[in-house]
Amino acid sequence: MFAEYIAYLFDLFTKNMVSIPLIQPIVDYLLQIPLINLIVALILWRPFFAVVIAPGLGVLILYLLYIVWFERKLTARVQWRVGPLEVARPIRGAIQALADGLRYFFQEAIVHNEAHRPYFIQLPILAFIPVLLPILFIPAGNVVGIKSPFAIQLIVSFIALIPVTVVAIGWASNSRFAYIGSVREAFMYFAYEVPFIIAVMSMIFLYGSGDPFIAVEKQTIPGAFLNPVAFIVFIIAMLMATSRLPFDIPEADQEIAFGPFVEYSGILFGLAMTLAYEKLYLMALLFTLLFLGGWSGPEFYLLGDLMPVIWLLLKTIVVISIIALVRSIYARYRLDQALRIGWTSILALSLVALVIGVIGAWLA
Amino acid sequence: MMRIEKVRPNLIKTIKDHIDAISVAAKQAVKPDRITIEYPRERRKYPDNFRGFIVFDKDKCISCFRCAHICPANAIVMEDYDNRYPSIDYAKCIFCHFCIDSCPTGAIKTSKVHDVAFKSLDEMCLHTTQITKIPEIVRKEEKYTVEYSVERGVWKLVKKRKLDNLEVEVPPPEVKVRKAACIDPESCLGCRLCKRVCPQDAIRLEECEVSPDLEITGTMCVLKIDVEKCTGCGLCVRQCPMQILVLEEVKE
Amino acid sequence: MDEYILDVPVEPPKELRSLFIPVPPDYVEEAYRSDEFLILVGPQHPGSGHMRLIVKVKGDIIQEVIPDPGYVHRSMEKLAENRLYIQNIPLFERPAIMDAANFNLGYVRAIEEALDIEVPERAKYIRTILAELCRIGTHLYDAAILAVFIGHTTGFMWPFGIRELICEALVRITGARFTSSFIIPGGVRRDVDESTLRFVYDSTFAIERRLESFEKIFIKNPTVVARLQGVGVLTKDEAIKHGVVGPFLRASGVEYDVRKVEPYEMYDELTWDIPVSDDGDGYSRFLVRVNEISQSLSIIRQCIMRMEEGRVISDQICENGKEIRGNFFDALGNIVLPAGEYTTLTEAARGLLLYTVISDGESNVPYRVRIVTPGWLYLKGFMESLRGERLADLQAIYGSFGYFPPEADR
Repeated sequence: MFAEYIAYLFDLFTKNMVSIPLIQPIVDYLLQIPLINLIVALILWRPFFAVVIAPGLGVLILYLLYIVWFERKLTARVQWRVGPLEVARPIRGAIQALADGLRYFFQEAIVHNEAHRPYFIQLPILAFIPVLLPILFIPAGNVVGIKSPFAIQLIVSFIALIPVTVVAIGWASNSRFAYIGSVREAFMYFAYEVPFIIAVMSMIFLYGSGDPFIAVEKQTIPGAFLNPVAFIVFIIAMLMATSRLPFDIPEADQEIAFGPFVEYSGILFGLAMTLAYEKLYLMALLFTLLFLGGWSGPEFYLLGDLMPVIWLLLKTIVVISIIALVRSIYARYRLDQALRIGWTSILALSLVALVIGVIGAWLA
Repeated sequence: MMRIEKVRPNLIKTIKDHIDAISVAAKQAVKPDRITIEYPRERRKYPDNFRGFIVFDKDKCISCFRCAHICPANAIVMEDYDNRYPSIDYAKCIFCHFCIDSCPTGAIKTSKVHDVAFKSLDEMCLHTTQITKIPEIVRKEEKYTVEYSVERGVWKLVKKRKLDNLEVEVPPPEVKVRKAACIDPESCLGCRLCKRVCPQDAIRLEECEVSPDLEITGTMCVLKIDVEKCTGCGLCVRQCPMQILVLEEVKE
Repeated sequence: MDEYILDVPVEPPKELRSLFIPVPPDYVEEAYRSDEFLILVGPQHPGSGHMRLIVKVKGDIIQEVIPDPGYVHRSMEKLAENRLYIQNIPLFERPAIMDAANFNLGYVRAIEEALDIEVPERAKYIRTILAELCRIGTHLYDAAILAVFIGHTTGFMWPFGIRELICEALVRITGARFTSSFIIPGGVRRDVDESTLRFVYDSTFAIERRLESFEKIFIKNPTVVARLQGVGVLTKDEAIKHGVVGPFLRASGVEYDVRKVEPYEMYDELTWDIPVSDDGDGYSRFLVRVNEISQSLSIIRQCIMRMEEGRVISDQICENGKEIRGNFFDALGNIVLPAGEYTTLTEAARGLLLYTVISDGESNVPYRVRIVTPGWLYLKGFMESLRGERLADLQAIYGSFGYFPPEADR
């Protein structure tokens, strides 16, 4: 019975494997060996590969290492400075994020008396649920976790859950500044959510369905040129959603000393800080799918199924690296000014984008 | 006066300002105007009047106590060797260099060393024997000397591959030679405080009518100053309770 | 808009009862009873400097702010009573360290007025150059602090970078980066040579060029303008009533500058302007200081062009006209001022600076020195301008005023 179960699993995995002609001989050899073949088949099973390795958790961790270093170096370059340099001097300080993360592991995570203890400790971990779930739905060529015709709508609805956890984190801290921070986060959520949803809706109208495969197929010219207004609205909504300057308001460090995350220290602080970066990763993946042509690009025979994944990741990294420059240009808006922008100018632009999307759908 | 006009925002100006800001940042990201000095590997070039570590030359010192007297932070303590020489407490020194400006012979002078850092508070009181030469800097990775240069409105950092000399040679100060002289010998008390404080033993007793062994014949006491030995330090001037000693210029 | 009052019994938090704060306890209870709450923007806050502000907030609007200064009080006035006149020079240049030359000038001019010392012309030019360099340094520092309070990190790094050139100029002239104790009664301590003056002249052009790109990225940046315009407005009558001084008074429409009203050093012989604005909001306070930087650069250039050879130390002090090295103690160590009270007014970078030296005629230490710094003078106006603004504007107004606690606390 046990052997049947294993044979069933093995059958399931080998029917849906990632095919990379470069390492196919090694894979074929390994598939002969009795126990290792199950593990290799599991690793190369498309859903597993998509969720755990690329574009999922493995790439996420590498991306975090990269973006923290790159943002600090780029900002330093604009500001006439050098940035982090000493950690591994021959590679110009590239593993600085690793050193920081290691430091957070050794620091004591203090839980103060007035905090609501179970929520305080568990919320930074629970906040990962709405951040990591959409990765199941993002496809990169054939490598996908769950194939669904409503993937884009599902991703947008998961992204809408993330600010709730941030507000809950501020509430659990039970401190004056954390309370002001979570109220500001709730206000910012109102500001960007509606224009964001309308912009995505306009692209769905343009492509005719919420299936990312159809969206990428229809982009013979990239979506940025098909609907430039939605492009601008999405970028500004991305800045508002991930608390980046100029909309850094819930985490304003000069006014309210880091907002909802003020009482965190140690590894809990490390987890809370990466939340914003992961949300940026997610929204950048969605951005690439809708506006930059997703995983389309010249094919390279030897890498087979891995090539679309690489194209998707390359485009995402380029987008994020350019967005990182915005941090050094702008100051921080005030809350009511950000709300006014969200409900007047950006809402108007997103309605224009919706009209363009409807016209595009009617023409096609 | 010049009046500053009120800024009236309009849409075109706002968009133009946004584009200007983004283009300045993009230009810096591509070609930065950096002026960073990577400190232990590059050393900055300083001028000759730089306020650095204070160096003392024992041969020129006349023990006049002027440096200790003028120090605003009371960081100089005169230590007792064959004569009295200054020692500096770097926990208090503010590097104002009033002591260097007060020294009449130029025995205490500046240098270009600015890395004056210690590992514990006890090490910070430097004795006279420790300040006779500049501290030795052992740094194998220090290779360059950098300097700021401004030419035609462009500010950049210029790197040279040789190391600067950290000692500063200055000519001795121009001070008029002065010797001590008593301006009112009739008011002299005979307390002999000036004789006791003179570091060169230049004051000697010439005639005294008051002595515990002999019979007292009067109140006169004459103390004579030997101008050959006098260095003009002024300690006797500061010590005399009747304030009848002054430093007079030597007439050639 | 209608207000609905919820009668929920609220107790003030424990910390407000146990900490020592300078408000009476029934003020605290009353605030909590009437639906407002007190925020302590304390000395350990990323955006407050070294002082505590007790802010009474109703919703998002500030009702009243009570300052709690005095965390950096070093009792300079008492310390001065035990030191020689000349030993007080390094003491009195340390309230506002970037502005050291102006603070030096005020004290030394009081002594010169008492002893009736005539300062040679070349020394006056060098003192003016030092005063203007320190003024530019302070304005750049204040611009950087304003940038960091509204979250613009590039606007924080660039002025400090430009200040490095000013500190290099100060090193070449005096030997120390900012607190140089270079101005003494009778002139300055050393002479400057030709190559140093050429460097200072060229660096004014380099500073202007770097300030142009700074202008595009910070001063004209639409987010900065949106943040600073229309906040913290002080009208002309309010500014005069609350005793505001310096560039903050000039931003509210009053044309008053000590360098024009009672000129000292070389200011009446050079051509320059004072920038005045009529709005009185945070952005015009900032723009007044930016324009003062360019005026100061032109003053420095005029001084360098007009300077002639000569003595730098008055002959009443010392025979050697080039440097005071060797004669410092004998000339100035034991000066005794005649009995009386001597007052000077100086225009420091942030406003009007008042020194009074009282001497009893016999001792070589002052009987009393009184110093009133600009930060202390405009504190009340700063607090009044915060009424009715939103909580988020507290930092923006603080930055636009450039309040510096060590200077106000002495």
